[in-house]
Amino acid sequence: MSQSVISRRRRSLAASTHRRSRRSEAMGYAMVAPLLIFILALALYPTVLTTIDAFMHIDALTPPNHFVGFGNFTAIFSNPEIRQSFENTGWYVVFGVGLTLVLGTTFGLLLQRRFRGRGIVLAIVILPWALPGVVEGVIWSWIYDPTFGVLNSVLKSLHLISQYQLFIGTRQIESILLTSLVQVWQITPLATLLVLASLQSIPGEVYEAARVDGASWWQVIRRITLPLIRPGLAIATVEALVLSLNIFDQVYVLNSGATTASSLMSETYFTTFQGLNFGQGYALSLLATVVTVVLSLGALKILYRKVTF
Amino acid sequence: MMSKSTWLHSTAFKVAALAAVASLVLFGSAATASPAARHSKASGVTINVAIAYPAPPKAMLAKFTSQTGIKVNWSYLQWDDLQTKIAAAAEADTYFADVTDVDWSKVGEYYVTKWFLPLNQYFSVRSLASQYPQISSFERNGTLVGMPMDVSLLVTTINEKAFRKAGLNSVPTTLAQYTKDLQTLKSKGIVAHPLDIPFAAAEGLSTYWYELTAAMGGQVLSASYKPLFTNPSSPGYKAMAWMVNAYKSGLVAKANLDYEDYQGFETEMAHGLAASVFSDYSGDIGTIYDVPSQSSVVGDVSYVATPGASGPAANLGNPDGIGIPRSAEHVSAAVAFIKWMEEPANQAAFAGAAGPKNVISTFPLPSNRGGLSLLAASGKVPGAASLVNLVENHGRAVFPAGAPPWYPNFSNAVYTNLHSAAAGQESVASAISAIASEVNSLNS
Repeated sequence: MSQSVISRRRRSLAASTHRRSRRSEAMGYAMVAPLLIFILALALYPTVLTTIDAFMHIDALTPPNHFVGFGNFTAIFSNPEIRQSFENTGWYVVFGVGLTLVLGTTFGLLLQRRFRGRGIVLAIVILPWALPGVVEGVIWSWIYDPTFGVLNSVLKSLHLISQYQLFIGTRQIESILLTSLVQVWQITPLATLLVLASLQSIPGEVYEAARVDGASWWQVIRRITLPLIRPGLAIATVEALVLSLNIFDQVYVLNSGATTASSLMSETYFTTFQGLNFGQGYALSLLATVVTVVLSLGALKILYRKVTF
Repeated sequence: MMSKSTWLHSTAFKVAALAAVASLVLFGSAATASPAARHSKASGVTINVAIAYPAPPKAMLAKFTSQTGIKVNWSYLQWDDLQTKIAAAAEADTYFADVTDVDWSKVGEYYVTKWFLPLNQYFSVRSLASQYPQISSFERNGTLVGMPMDVSLLVTTINEKAFRKAGLNSVPTTLAQYTKDLQTLKSKGIVAHPLDIPFAAAEGLSTYWYELTAAMGGQVLSASYKPLFTNPSSPGYKAMAWMVNAYKSGLVAKANLDYEDYQGFETEMAHGLAASVFSDYSGDIGTIYDVPSQSSVVGDVSYVATPGASGPAANLGNPDGIGIPRSAEHVSAAVAFIKWMEEPANQAAFAGAAGPKNVISTFPLPSNRGGLSLLAASGKVPGAASLVNLVENHGRAVFPAGAPPWYPNFSNAVYTNLHSAAAGQESVASAISAIASEVNSLNS
């Protein structure tokens, strides 16, 4: 076989391999293209528009639209009701993230043990996650109801209160805590599942070794379990953080328009759709997005550690 | 590192570019496209109707379809959700519905934003005035923004049985007597908290204040939308002080701080936990208090002339209307549908004149005098005759000059501050001052 024939065959083989490789690469991109379109259209495109419009005067009652620089942000921060909603949202985050992590970890640890009916308990635990926020708000408004509420009834029968109480509306922290509880009830199931999945990935030998070394129950939790479930905890934290920062349904149903327990999102809703000041609404949305991204990334950086066994 | 020319020719770039273009075309066009070509056809089309009322019976809509060839796709949305959708669709210049809600409180806003087609070319405002008692709420500077879909009034209801039990055999006609009667009901232990005021920070609280202000002989805003309630001797100031005092003195239950209007009616008044609602909604006796499955006071509650400073007071109107959004696709069909909705026989039927099978649930009263007469004559709706009397003799618009364009902001300031005053978070004086300051800022 001549040198030129070998060389031609090699070139042909290389070209064919290259074509196959390019085809496979193109196929890969084609497979992710729908997701890419979805993300670009439903996340990136609106975010870009929101960012631009946050610097515009867009008020349906006082047209025309025009550039105002940081005017919308100045107006937002000089509005005492919106400032109050920032403070309230801080409390929602504290209660929402704190309680979700504590409860999610506790339930995860309890459900890790095998017991009869565990599957049924797991199915029940996940139920609140499936309910829409408004439905939960309605259910809990009945629980908190100051005239017929279950909570009042239980507390009275336990002789913890002498007469029915008004739980939401008068005291800021109490109103926020009780509203936050409704959301915690909704998001704890997912946190529980995330923690449970992390717990189940820890090899039994690690616990056995700790036991052989004489570690107490608390030492096992502190030195082995918690460090090894950090990936699950990190994701659960981000989930709780994002939902607490953006709490709306529960606030709207339980608190109506009162500023006592208003949230950043409820103020965004009122500014945008009631006041028709879309420019300030976009500015509030942009602020919420930036705060959510920064805090989520911060939480991930602090909490997330790759765990390998 | 990939060179610029390589990157530009790479598959990754092409996919990303394609995705970006596709998404911009797909969603950009949805957001900025002008309304689809308008059909002037009034037959053989399907119109989308989005209303804050449940649909009329299928048979009635089928009759409309057989008469006109227009199919109706009726969507029932909660009032708040509907307002959000109207605003979002209008701001995005996107089709949403062919016919939708025009609430009395939104007329000023829609007049300024021009989100709805003026109906003047289809209905004569001048000739409507004699037929429609509340038409002025839907007209601004000669522009008919919507057509009244019903007649609705803020009215006073009392539980006559409870009043009689307390030895109160005559209906109070003045506010002073009304207050005294409420105190008697409380002191005699007939009802622990005889008055229902919905103190949750929501629209129902604002309208309660407007009605009480009217009963005290005033109004909250002037014709040029200046606050008329800042002076402590003004009806608006006294009305707010009266409401807050009623709460603090126990005439109103503590629980009401969390209750919106319908929660108060359904939880308290319908179960005998309250004996009166000063600013109730016309139609609540038929749709709540006299419904055995919802009420334990069936037959006990009646509409009375609203007690005023020196005798029966005005009843403010809060009617719902319907209109055609600018982005509607089937305008002619939408007009035909509105005309059908306005027919006196249909209006009377929606309110119950043709029996329970033909009603629109929670529909208060017919929008026009023809429908009102048919309803009163039918004798099928409790209290209808006295309501018609209130409409004709005591009905008045909340804002004689029409709702201001910034009404939602005003109402928000009213209910948040009034709620705070009742909760003890601020004084009446400071609530009044905060509302006035908001009005001045909205006017500037």
